[in-house]
Amino acid sequence: MNSAFLLDIVLDGLFAAIAAVGFAVISNPPRRTIPYTALLAAIGHAMRFWMLDIPVSITAASFAGAFSIGLLALLFARRLHCPAEVLSFPALLPMIPGMYAYKTILTTIQFMSDKTPPEEQQFLLTAVFHNGFTTLFVMSALVIGVLLPILMFPKVAYTMTRLLKPIVGK
Amino acid sequence: MNRTTPATKIAPPPYKVGVRELSNLLLDYSSTLMGCGVHTSRLARNVARIAESYGYETEMTVFRRHITMSILHREDDSIRRTSVRKIDHGPINFEFISRLSALSWEAYDNPMPFDELQRKYEAIVSKPRLSAWVVLLLVSLANASFCRLFGGDFVAMGIVFVATLAGFFLRQQLTLRRMNQMAVVAICSLIASLIGSIGLRYGLGTTPQTALASSVLFLIPGVPLINSIVDILEGYILAGISRAIHAGILIICIAIGLSVSLLTLGLNSL
Repeated sequence: MNSAFLLDIVLDGLFAAIAAVGFAVISNPPRRTIPYTALLAAIGHAMRFWMLDIPVSITAASFAGAFSIGLLALLFARRLHCPAEVLSFPALLPMIPGMYAYKTILTTIQFMSDKTPPEEQQFLLTAVFHNGFTTLFVMSALVIGVLLPILMFPKVAYTMTRLLKPIVGK
Repeated sequence: MNRTTPATKIAPPPYKVGVRELSNLLLDYSSTLMGCGVHTSRLARNVARIAESYGYETEMTVFRRHITMSILHREDDSIRRTSVRKIDHGPINFEFISRLSALSWEAYDNPMPFDELQRKYEAIVSKPRLSAWVVLLLVSLANASFCRLFGGDFVAMGIVFVATLAGFFLRQQLTLRRMNQMAVVAICSLIASLIGSIGLRYGLGTTPQTALASSVLFLIPGVPLINSIVDILEGYILAGISRAIHAGILIICIAIGLSVSLLTLGLNSL
């Protein structure tokens, strides 16, 4: 791994963090969680970026990124005294497959147009399905990845907002 | 049902409250939580905890527009009440979700007099949101960074920043004026993508396509989409499907706005 690629990974994480903060504030998160959301988004997205280079498919890479976000969110949520999804859901938003969704719409419109010659239409139809399925599967992989830690440790995940005894005592 | 109680905790509750007052507060509480985008199982657990601390049990059915809640006394099941409450869907609010969940644990671990609980609830829900201008600026920066993640250059990032600034400002203003949510999304998508297509029209930068594609992405209902899958995986399948359909309709509205501006460009140029 050379230094240029390392820089790319860091930049990818940085821009993912900015994107996560912006999309998070739409949902009015508690202020103290915003830096952690940025950190989680950077880690998850940079991880996906690195895995895409190996190369791993975008669905598997998104799953891995989301899974690491879900695990770290469980760790931080206890310290911040907030539900894990308040940290992890906004951190997922930069990984939502917007570009594939856009291409699905674009190729569908091009496919429906009367001006498109028939020999191009079959390529467009393939593109519609390729982009559409990628959108669907990446989206599901993101959510299942981030939920898996919660479903694995329900006892931990469901008591995040409970104050621990020592804190109550003082 | 989600029983969060350990079997040992059967001691009588330290504070008493009438079924009517408790039921009204819990319905307010549930309607607020659902309105700010909680997933169904968290709602059920939170409500059960609060009811538990006053010696009551709850069962509830949650749909997108209404909540039906049955609440009954643990020892005397002739004390019971069932009511239906409308849900007012507002903007997503994680701060409320976080603090109202913490309140439910607080009530469960250290039972408090009912009027104190009511006071704490009112204090939480009267907290103002983040400043609209700060949100506008951060969302625009976020969408520009998003464009960079998809491989856009600095010109594309600039275009997306302006497109998002205009589109999101319009969305805030139209939402304040209580316009239909679907119409708001379609209009904002149209305006944002028209601005986003400037690069394609005048040949600015090397990645004008990326600018156009990312200009509408701030409208994607990410949290409702995630919540719908959470609900389905946790067994609240009807609630999950109705959330998914609602998010799907909003995505179709984005597509409508985007299609109109794509058609004004002429498809041959794409």
